[in-house]
Amino acid sequence: MLKKLFFGGKIEQKVIEKIKKHIEILCSACETFRIALEKQDKNLISNVFELEREGDIVRREIVSDIFIGAFLPFLRPNICKFVEIVDNALDAVEDAAFEYLDLELDGEIRSDCIKIANINFKMCEILSIAFETLLTGKDLREKNLVIRIYEKKIDEIKHDLMRKLREKDIKNFWEGKIISDFITYLANVSDIIEDASDYLQIINVSMR
Amino acid sequence: MKVEEIMNTKIEFIEANATVYDAIEKMVDKRIRSLVVKPRDENDVYGVITVRDIVFRVLNKNLDPNKVKIEEIASKPLVCVDKDIDIEHVIKLMEKFNIARVFVCEKGNLLGVVALLDVMSGSLIKRVRGGCIA
Repeated sequence: MLKKLFFGGKIEQKVIEKIKKHIEILCSACETFRIALEKQDKNLISNVFELEREGDIVRREIVSDIFIGAFLPFLRPNICKFVEIVDNALDAVEDAAFEYLDLELDGEIRSDCIKIANINFKMCEILSIAFETLLTGKDLREKNLVIRIYEKKIDEIKHDLMRKLREKDIKNFWEGKIISDFITYLANVSDIIEDASDYLQIINVSMR
Repeated sequence: MKVEEIMNTKIEFIEANATVYDAIEKMVDKRIRSLVVKPRDENDVYGVITVRDIVFRVLNKNLDPNKVKIEEIASKPLVCVDKDIDIEHVIKLMEKFNIARVFVCEKGNLLGVVALLDVMSGSLIKRVRGGCIA
């Protein structure tokens, strides 16, 4: 019933499909980046850049369709905001990928970064499940909590990683800056996905 | 879902001949509830000391934590599982032995620890993902 009321129209369905695609692109970008880290294959980074560009195109189409008149007016700003946040997550993956091009990771630092990238990917999958749940009108609390659990785990790994980095010998300013920025962007993806999940909850509540 | 996905790899150790007060200090500083007790010699095995042990076996009995040695109250050996084991099996072990943490070991090496909170989070993740874990 809820689904029919809020998402039932043809143009709404078109936007929903595009939002799903947008989240799928984020999942693919996170997965590609994780594989690039695992296999130490920097050739895969160009695929992350392509996915980010594809995400930009989909975002523009979604916003444009919403301005044409999809969804009830009170829902539009929240849906636009959600799409923007997902796009910010894609930007953060791209930024991390860009820094990785000039970086050589080794030992425990590399394995921690892979762990973070892996959890980022899992969070994207849960976000996708949460969006599907929103469409059915069911409660999102459990999905939201799982995203928070994953985010907390990344926070723990990040703090541990920062401590390890402080003990590492840094040869020059740029080496230090690149690795510091890389970790910041990588860990930031989960923060942004958590924000997106919170926004889904806001949309869900606003429809009641 | 496998134990490897939810285990915590940060393990804090304490010497077997340290005092319970040393353990209290370490637990308060690191905000943790258990410490792995190092083996005394090559014939010994790893053990574990928890906040629960300290409260019920030392403080509640009005013993001086500065005088009681870790080895006197530590539980040995550790309850260990393989990293590929399912969390359902871990839950059964926890229930059977009435313990709050199970250690993940491989060829005598400690890889990590799974506490009740990790199991709870893991079960929720599994529920949300519909039992499908990447």
